[in-house]
Amino acid sequence: MRLFAKILKVGLVTEPLGPGDDAVVRVARAVEAKARKLLGRAVAIREVDAGSCNGCEVEITGLMSPVYDSERFGIHFVASPRHADLLLVTGPVTRNMEIPLLKTYEATPDPKVVVAVGDCAQTCGVFRGSYAVVGSVDAIIPVDVFVGGCPPEPADILRGILTALDRLPVRKGRA
Amino acid sequence: MTIASWLLYIIVGAHALGALAALGLRGAAGRVLGATGAGAGSLATLGLGAWCLGTGTVLAITAPILPLTGLALRVDGVSAFFLIVAGVAGAAASVYGAAYSAHYEGRYSLRLLGAMWNVLLLSLPIQVLADNALTFLMTWEVMSLSAYFLVLTEHDRRETVRAANWYLVVTHAGFAALVAAFLLLAAGDPTASFAAMRSAVLAPGTRDAVFVLALIGFGAKAGIVPLHVWLPMAHPVAPSHVSALMSGVVIKMGVYGLLRVSLDLLGGGPAWWGGLALGVGAVSALLGVLYALMEHDLKRLLAYHSIENVGIIFMGLGAGLVFQSYGLPALATLGFVAGLYHTLNHACFKGLLFLGAGSVLHATHTRNMEELGGLIHRMPRTAVGFLIGAAAISALPPLNGFASEWLVFQALLGGSTIPRAEIAVVMPIAVAMLALTSGLAVACFVKAFGITFLALPRSAEAAQAQEAPLAMQIGMGALVLACVALGLAPFFVVPVLGSALGGVGGLPTASVEFSLGTSFRVAGAVGQMSPLLVALGLALLIGLTLGSLRAFADRRLRPGDTWGCGRIGHTARMEYTATAFAEPLRRIFAELYRPTQDLSIDFHPASRYFVESIEYRSAIHPWFEQALYTPVLRLLRGAAHRVRRLQAGSLHLYLTYMTIVLVVLLIVARWPR
Repeated sequence: MRLFAKILKVGLVTEPLGPGDDAVVRVARAVEAKARKLLGRAVAIREVDAGSCNGCEVEITGLMSPVYDSERFGIHFVASPRHADLLLVTGPVTRNMEIPLLKTYEATPDPKVVVAVGDCAQTCGVFRGSYAVVGSVDAIIPVDVFVGGCPPEPADILRGILTALDRLPVRKGRA
Repeated sequence: MTIASWLLYIIVGAHALGALAALGLRGAAGRVLGATGAGAGSLATLGLGAWCLGTGTVLAITAPILPLTGLALRVDGVSAFFLIVAGVAGAAASVYGAAYSAHYEGRYSLRLLGAMWNVLLLSLPIQVLADNALTFLMTWEVMSLSAYFLVLTEHDRRETVRAANWYLVVTHAGFAALVAAFLLLAAGDPTASFAAMRSAVLAPGTRDAVFVLALIGFGAKAGIVPLHVWLPMAHPVAPSHVSALMSGVVIKMGVYGLLRVSLDLLGGGPAWWGGLALGVGAVSALLGVLYALMEHDLKRLLAYHSIENVGIIFMGLGAGLVFQSYGLPALATLGFVAGLYHTLNHACFKGLLFLGAGSVLHATHTRNMEELGGLIHRMPRTAVGFLIGAAAISALPPLNGFASEWLVFQALLGGSTIPRAEIAVVMPIAVAMLALTSGLAVACFVKAFGITFLALPRSAEAAQAQEAPLAMQIGMGALVLACVALGLAPFFVVPVLGSALGGVGGLPTASVEFSLGTSFRVAGAVGQMSPLLVALGLALLIGLTLGSLRAFADRRLRPGDTWGCGRIGHTARMEYTATAFAEPLRRIFAELYRPTQDLSIDFHPASRYFVESIEYRSAIHPWFEQALYTPVLRLLRGAAHRVRRLQAGSLHLYLTYMTIVLVVLLIVARWPR
């Protein structure tokens, strides 16, 4: 009962969105249209933290927050690489995460694309040369798109996803 | 000479020659010839049963072979049916055993194994043909003892000797009850023929005593709770083809005996007889499957399932006896038919499962499921055979277990036509217990098949397993065919069984109750079922699925590791185990199992965050058996202790005893009356 009371008292917390009032929503709508065309459904994303400082994670979590709520646009974060179309990898790859990252890549069904998020994923950033770091993400697995920024903004991440989707092959029977 | 008597001579001759060959010849020749004799004799047994059932021949032979009385044999519908049961399972197990026993060469006595195997297979048809008390009881003893020697094959293991001793004690306790029952039935004359017993008029109290004694005696052989303790011990340690025959046929002699005595010789009785049989059947079925769930020894698991299935058979027979006492012959026939059908089906699928378990044991040298896994890749044919057996015992359509369990359900549901309060209470409970049993059996065989054959091998032995030899595959293949055929053809089997039972114990001879087409109806019970249509539907569904996969799906394959959350040290030891699979049920039924757990962790001396080793032990404590058997064992031990004073080991003392007994006997004999 208290739960219902609280729901009533708090009401809606997502902010109303005007048409085209935000860069993020524009890009998200583009991603939605593309995913629908290419896959016929939502795009399933598996996020892999290969050793980041979690700054990128804060921004990625922002995508799912009540403000952007990108699940609306068919951008779906999944719990297993077995379900994923796209891998979102953050951070420099540490020694402990090298094999798990590789295994995750192998466990993701084809066709798949990889988006490396953040400066660290490309250049190892301030962690370069650390004894615990193996290298950038593309040293371990093939990367389709790099998203720069420390950390990148949600809109940039979405643009990266949009670009990466272009690299998915067009399925049989879909123009 | 008629065909039937020729077949009987072939049975005796083939088994005798087989036993002699096994005794006389060394090495592979003795093994193969012994098995050939056993197989030929079993086929003749099957032929005799089919011939007599098909033509309605009644064969009666009396021969003055046994002292005191003639050996009296007679075939009627019921014995012809059990001949078929013994023939099917015996032939398949003999072919299998020819190859299976090869690895005993040089370790255990193949001569004794081959000879006793033939003796056991010969005693089975004689058992069901016996037509007087003495023949019946003597064959019973031959059967029990030959089975005892077969269990003892691997005699240098402690557990084997212990199991064989338990078997011997329980089966002889049962035998004592049987002797008492037959002496009561025959009014003290052991040479009395069954025909004389049928026409004898006994006081109601005597009849009740005979029934209860027969239930105890035959129940000890059939392995109903609480006389089942020998079964899960003896079946795992016996050679696998022996386990298959013992579970498939030898324990069914208890079913045969109970049916023969209660229905044929006594001609049915009050309703509580059936109620008692139904009750012990229901308890056996449920407890059998519950204990099987906790078992991780593959063959012991199957042994517990034998208890379960014998329970289901007893439920069918019990329902039949209840209906007969209320004057409902159609429903009574249905109950007995259901019980007999399940008897034949259980002989097929449990024989198949034991042979499959034997192949696994042969290939990996372990019965522990936790050390198996992945065998479907290394032993694909065995795996398919075991899967079909598992589906049949789980009563999945369109296999044979489904057909007969469905009939048992129909018979029990037919109880709603009796307007009596106690029936209205008992029957629905029995239905519910049977339903629970069936469901748990499915869970148990998902575990048995999944842990044994799927995933990755959990031990080096399982990783290096090889497919069984051809003869073992043939033995299993024959039973696979039998399982499928019996599942698809109840419309043929049920009327045959109905007519086999016709006339026995006052059941109607005409089997009008079973009007059949492709769909399946039973008078007095509301239900229809067509296993053929179910099978067609399944085939259509599978065909559609495969076809659409072929047409639409992307079939490029890329084999990869199991996804283990990217864990680095990912080994087969992290797979789902049998214990883990059964854990939820162990919690639910904790009151029955009384599980104990023992967890000990060794930490690194420097920090508690580093674990050096973990040891986990878990056991179940079936209080039910302990509470029942501990006092009995204590009493027996006390008595044996006291008797030991008499048996002091001194020859002089024994000679004195003999003299005293002789003098006493002489005095008694000459006593003036």
